[in-house]
Amino acid sequence: MDAADAPRTARPSGITRRVRETRRSVLIADRVADWTIRIGGIFVIIAVATILVFLTQVVVPLFTGARVVGQHAFAVAGMERGPLSAVIDEDRTIGAVLLRDGSVSAFHLQTGTPLAAEPLALNGAVVTAFGSSLNREQILLGFADGTIRLGTMRFTAEVITPDRLPPDLRRLNERDRTDGRSVYSRIPGNQYRKVDVVVRADAPQKISESAIRLADYRVAGTVERPTRSFATVDAARTIRLSRAESRVNMLTRQVRTAVATTTLPPVPPGVEISAVLLTEQADSVLAGTAEGRVFRYDTRSFTAPRLAEEARLLEAGERLSALSYLIGEQSVVAMGSRGTTDVFFLLERPGSDSADGKRLVRAHIMDRHADGVGAISISQRGKVFATADARGNVWLRHSTSNRTLLALEKGGEAETYAALALAPRNDAIVAIAGNGRASAWNLSVPHPETTLGTIFGRVWYEGYQEPGFTWQSSAATDSFEPKLSLVPLIFGTLKATFYALLFAVPVALLAAIFTSEFVHPRVRAVVKPAMEMMASLPSVVLGFVAALILAPIVEDWIAAVLMVFLAVPLSLLAAAYAWMYLPRSLSLRYGGLPKFALMFVALGLGFLACVALGGALERIVFAGDIRSWLDGQIGSGFGFTTLLCLPITTLAAALVGNRLMVPLDEALGPRSHGVVATVTLLRWLVILVAGLVGALGLSALLMGLGYDPRGGMVGTYVQRNTLVVGFAMGFAVIPIIYTIAEDALSAVPEHLRAASLGCGATNWQTAMRVILPTAMSGVFAAVMVGMGRAVGETMIVVMAAGNTPILDWNVFNGLRALSANIAVELPEAVRDGTLYRMLFLSALTLFAITFVINTVAELIRLRFRKRAASL
Amino acid sequence: MNQTSATARPASIEFGPTVYHVSRGSHGEAVEISDFDLWYGAKQALFSISMGVEAGLVTALIGPSGCGKSTLLRCLNRMNDLIDGLRIRGRISVAGQDLYAPAADVIAIRKQMGMVFQKPNPFPMTIFENVAYPLRVDGIRHRAMIAETVERSLRGAALWDEVKDRLHESALGLSGGQQQRLCIARAIAGTPEVLLMDEPCSALDPIATAKIEELIDELRGQFTIVIVTHNMQQAARVSDNVAFMYLGRLIEYGDTDTVFTAPKNERTQDYVTGRFG
Repeated sequence: MDAADAPRTARPSGITRRVRETRRSVLIADRVADWTIRIGGIFVIIAVATILVFLTQVVVPLFTGARVVGQHAFAVAGMERGPLSAVIDEDRTIGAVLLRDGSVSAFHLQTGTPLAAEPLALNGAVVTAFGSSLNREQILLGFADGTIRLGTMRFTAEVITPDRLPPDLRRLNERDRTDGRSVYSRIPGNQYRKVDVVVRADAPQKISESAIRLADYRVAGTVERPTRSFATVDAARTIRLSRAESRVNMLTRQVRTAVATTTLPPVPPGVEISAVLLTEQADSVLAGTAEGRVFRYDTRSFTAPRLAEEARLLEAGERLSALSYLIGEQSVVAMGSRGTTDVFFLLERPGSDSADGKRLVRAHIMDRHADGVGAISISQRGKVFATADARGNVWLRHSTSNRTLLALEKGGEAETYAALALAPRNDAIVAIAGNGRASAWNLSVPHPETTLGTIFGRVWYEGYQEPGFTWQSSAATDSFEPKLSLVPLIFGTLKATFYALLFAVPVALLAAIFTSEFVHPRVRAVVKPAMEMMASLPSVVLGFVAALILAPIVEDWIAAVLMVFLAVPLSLLAAAYAWMYLPRSLSLRYGGLPKFALMFVALGLGFLACVALGGALERIVFAGDIRSWLDGQIGSGFGFTTLLCLPITTLAAALVGNRLMVPLDEALGPRSHGVVATVTLLRWLVILVAGLVGALGLSALLMGLGYDPRGGMVGTYVQRNTLVVGFAMGFAVIPIIYTIAEDALSAVPEHLRAASLGCGATNWQTAMRVILPTAMSGVFAAVMVGMGRAVGETMIVVMAAGNTPILDWNVFNGLRALSANIAVELPEAVRDGTLYRMLFLSALTLFAITFVINTVAELIRLRFRKRAASL
Repeated sequence: MNQTSATARPASIEFGPTVYHVSRGSHGEAVEISDFDLWYGAKQALFSISMGVEAGLVTALIGPSGCGKSTLLRCLNRMNDLIDGLRIRGRISVAGQDLYAPAADVIAIRKQMGMVFQKPNPFPMTIFENVAYPLRVDGIRHRAMIAETVERSLRGAALWDEVKDRLHESALGLSGGQQQRLCIARAIAGTPEVLLMDEPCSALDPIATAKIEELIDELRGQFTIVIVTHNMQQAARVSDNVAFMYLGRLIEYGDTDTVFTAPKNERTQDYVTGRFG
């Protein structure tokens, strides 16, 4: 009939002559469409590229370290009288040096202009020992007569309006003016800030009979009722710990100070103490000796202090040149005459020979100076500190990241700096030599703590027993150091993804195979859109259902939930087996809907069995209480290991058994349906028993080797855990994997299906041997796209994962994913702060992960397409 | 049911009874179709077909497009099963077994009835695995036996010499004619009783067609072959018996020479002489 059609389509020429030109409107429409699509495409590319550029531009400053933004040199008067302490105010306005005779040499930091400052009235006495709090505001002066004076050296800042500005001010620079004593800085809002340096000292207190040589001073407690503690070493090498308590008489406003002093156990004779350090709580005193050792005193009991530990901080032969705490008093920096700069942590070390079980542990070995370290100045913000060596090299360092941020160039020839001050905000350093020559640098150190090493590598944080991966971005105290390792977050993302896929991939793929190969197209036409509807469920809804409903249920029924993994497949297998027993005529007649219904009945029975047998499982395998068992308090890992081994050994038994039974099969010859069913049942029973025996044996062997499953994939139970996330996220991912995999399977040409069926293959054989291998790339791409979705999923993990940034594969513990972390912490991040940039880095990392996954998926999809095209 | 060449049976009122003058093989009938009707939904596609396929001979089904010859062929191994709304009446039996009996084992039937399709459809696997496939789905794991069967089947399909050095390369790299012979090899690897060929040469060039025809000639005697073809010269060349179908009816079924030289039915005459179709 094709041939019959042919003459009708060929028109005789000449009757209607068709115009062979394309109309203008068609051409224009084509051109317009072409350009619209082209411009649209370019815009999409530009938009994506712009986002990347933006993210990168926010992230890059994390890795730029520090830089010098200005440098100048000037002279400071009075340095020949001996500097005690150099300080800079918060706003880099004034630098001030306290001298041994009590006078203060102040200068305008940015120009070096000398400023007048009120000296301390010491009545001719010369300070022999100086101690200060870590912020250098609280000072202690020790004298040759064995007295000390407590005091403060601080900057006062006051905001004033222009009309209160004194007349005749001298201009210092763009911002600052002075009346010779105070500096008036212009600040935004047409106001001025008046900055002064004020030094003040209390009345002398007699501490010792001999001259005070060394001192350290801390103030704790509240502003109203401070507890002031100080440690002193006098000429007789007596180490004393004192407490001064001041009471203000409410009526007379008179301050009465009472000092209590205790003497610490003496150091061995012949030891020269060169440094003394005290903690804010006055519970520990460190006395460093000139030859590089340290005596650590436990002074938790004020009346009965004891020597806790004697440790060597420097190599033999190197002299201790300075000993200092970093902010927070967890790190001790020891510096030596050969340039060594090491950071020590006081850590619990069981089995150490110290009296309190703690030891000073060398945690960070910093770059060595070329010469002995002369001066140190620590930051008030974070673990930054500046050191200066005898040749005048000034280095800015960061202890946690173990690096030298800046090696500052000297303004002039090499000289030893007598005083070094790092500005409170890490934005300026002034170094003053003994002859009064001073160099000042303005710095920009926005993110000293972040390097690729600290973000992705192990970092030894203060108070931690060893280097590790930690994310802890904020805490209550000022001295807290943010711990910004992305590793736990990346791990959390991968863990959530892994468990979600573990649940979703088998379900989704089996469902896809089922609908594409086994059911009537009409069923497929209903099931597929229904599954796609599942994808449109907002993940926030899934998240809170998981957190508020699923999590408590799973918590109450852990054993039953674990049973599900065993009972549901088994019940379906049993149903399939029972089906095989049916006479052929019945099984053919009821192959449609009744069979489908039977599946659900089997599922329901499986669930009932779980509920019924959960308790029994808990008794047999988990010693009666699964949570205590998971905590490791009761029971042994034997039962659970057996359960874990069971699938493996059964599989092995099945492989071996089926091979062994081939001759048996052949010997039996052709059999009736019922005989086949019985033989199969017997065979599988034998295999199952063999598997069980094998599992028991393997488990016993593993127990003998000391293996315990607790602490690995299972462990302490937390209500918001990965199992719940796996369920909820699996639910979100299943439709995606299902849809794409189903498309891939259905796209396999019909002629292959026909060829396979024509060879006498069953539906299942066709699906497994022909359809799935042919569609493999598409199915793999489906899994990858599902993985991409799981990696980026936010709300489910925020709500159901507990948000604990830990490195732990335990399925019963929580996790914190990159995306959830961004959602949770963004409200806390200060714009352009380190955390802010770190969150952008997490975003970039997330982007990179999903980019890689999607690219791999796309590459595989392309391969699939090429392969499919050749069919 | 025994059909004799001279027995005339009513096919339908308008078309008159089917004319039978079948040339007999020496092994009796491999397939027996009796009074077979088939509907796609409400549309009847086959009307009361009755014919016996002679064992060991080549039987060609010819007729214009839509006459039901492919439908009939596909009924022989129940490849029509998946089509929606398919209804049948009547009986097709192979070796005395009713294909459409409620308890019939479709898988077993298909193993007896090897099929070669219109378009070559090798699996995207190696040549070796393609041919071994029927054995694999039978659960045979004996390697030597599989290798032996593959070689025998490929030799049987006259493909061995061309592919013996690249058995483990993809079958998709073969030419169309080779692919079709591979499909024949695959079909005979399962040692079926009947080979069903659904226009096996329609997608091939003349040289490949000639080779397939040669192959069919060689397979004659080893297998019962039922071939659907559009090409009347082909039917004349390869077949022993020809069944001419028209609008779902079996018009004439008989010895090839007679059908092409002296058809007993006027419509057959018109068709084989090219007056319509």
